[in-house]
Amino acid sequence: MSVKTYELTKYFGKLCAVDHINLDIGNEIFGLLGPNGAGKTTAVLILTTLLKPSTGEAYVCGYDVVKEAKKVRNVISYVPQDMAVDIKLTGKENVLLFAKLYGVADRKKRVDEILELMGLSERADDRVSGYSGGMRRRLELAQALVHEPQVLFLDEPTLGLDVSARRKMWEHISSLKKKGVTIFITTHYMDEADKFCDRVAIIDRGKIVAMDSPAKLKSGIGKDVITANVSGEFKGLNIEGIRFLGREVDIIKFMAENGSEALPLLSEALSRQGLKVHSLSVREPSLDDVFLQNVGTGEEQGSFDDHKFRNLLRRRK
Amino acid sequence: MRGVQYYFERDLMRWTRSRRAVFASLVMPAAWLIFVGLALPIRFTNNYLDFITPGILVMTMLFASLQGGTLLIFDKILGFLNKFLALPVPRESILFGKILFIAFRGLLQSTVILGMAVLLGVKINYFATIPLTYFVLFIFGILFSAIATTIALLVDDYDSYASINSMVSMPLFFTSSALMPYELMPHWLRIIASLNPVSYAIDIIRALFAGNFLLNEIMELIAGAIIVLMVSVHVFRKATV
Repeated sequence: MSVKTYELTKYFGKLCAVDHINLDIGNEIFGLLGPNGAGKTTAVLILTTLLKPSTGEAYVCGYDVVKEAKKVRNVISYVPQDMAVDIKLTGKENVLLFAKLYGVADRKKRVDEILELMGLSERADDRVSGYSGGMRRRLELAQALVHEPQVLFLDEPTLGLDVSARRKMWEHISSLKKKGVTIFITTHYMDEADKFCDRVAIIDRGKIVAMDSPAKLKSGIGKDVITANVSGEFKGLNIEGIRFLGREVDIIKFMAENGSEALPLLSEALSRQGLKVHSLSVREPSLDDVFLQNVGTGEEQGSFDDHKFRNLLRRRK
Repeated sequence: MRGVQYYFERDLMRWTRSRRAVFASLVMPAAWLIFVGLALPIRFTNNYLDFITPGILVMTMLFASLQGGTLLIFDKILGFLNKFLALPVPRESILFGKILFIAFRGLLQSTVILGMAVLLGVKINYFATIPLTYFVLFIFGILFSAIATTIALLVDDYDSYASINSMVSMPLFFTSSALMPYELMPHWLRIIASLNPVSYAIDIIRALFAGNFLLNEIMELIAGAIIVLMVSVHVFRKATV
């Protein structure tokens, strides 16, 4: 197993940023999902030896992240979400710096190889200031891969990228997995996690609330999702076979065992409460719904604690 | 050791590619040299330029060193530091590379100022003056770039760093022996000036220009640099866990 944690916990003062997490990750694309400030980045910082856990243990490729930190750093790569590349240097110089720092043998050849692989050869001798966001991300990936790591940690790798740059990024990540690299990703793009991750864990306020393959997680919450567009105050309802999932402003989501049978019942029940029902639709569950069920609505996350949390995280950087 | 070299090269490349920054860093010491050194009607010495040149050289180094802390601040804010800390090279090489580069950059700037001073008529009578002056400036540069990087490790954002920098740099310069000899200072200033590490460097270099070698002061400066370096390493280790 490439990444293994036992009851991993991190406190910042009284705040528990990572709360007794147990992970067991092999050669796969593993996605850690969660709202902002849920503890995703903190978990990654511990696994990449940038933070010490308060209690619990974590191992990367069999090495203890606290006691054998240097050995861990030899086998991993970490790409933080900040997109930190030197814009006054050329693409090649950026990668060469990392090749030197990693002590890569035959580094000139390796740098050319990896730039070619990332589709950056043509622009390799241009300064990075002229690169697009997607190119900069791929350049960071080239830096991270230049020493052929066994585990790759990517913090929000597609943040701020356009559609085609995202697809390219995911293509690269998927091909890395085929080569035997373990990939640990944090993201809050559910659709991407759904499509590309082998397994995902949903983290909320430091706790893992669900962990499995996206398909199993989705089938675990029920068969159909009903989305109702309404106006008025929703008081909750009690119909057999229909379960309330969550509300986002005027959109209320329900789970149903049989969507088409539930529709008329639901329509009637909502109208009886005095709600005006504008539309109802049935679809298969998505990872978004899993997330909603486990984490709750977006509103709850915008609380005071959340801000405090994010500031704390920022201070730790 | 390799790591130190690579981090040093990175900073050097980034700096030499921003010509405006290279030029801007020379304007202030040059202005002091010309407008104060040549123009100020001072009576306590026959040639004020000769007197003030060691002070301006040390000032160049002082401001360059204190300014250098921003390099680390930006590496911290922009996420470079975290990327570097996750690498297998000894983490301290980040710090040493930075301190070495800041001191080296200060030496380059001092060289330009020294060249200007010579062009303006400052005489160097002893051959050994030049290498020894460089040595003293380098030690002084290490001392203050270690202070600057330590402050940079302790504060979170650029604004706090800039305010600390501006709070420290000018008072340090004005309370040193750069502008007037000790005999002419008011009593309170004389006490502050004789304790100020900036005066140490200036006095040593002024003596070198006059053909004297202040061994004790040099040893004290070296000791100071070593102590500050140790503090800096300690703070770095604590800050990066």
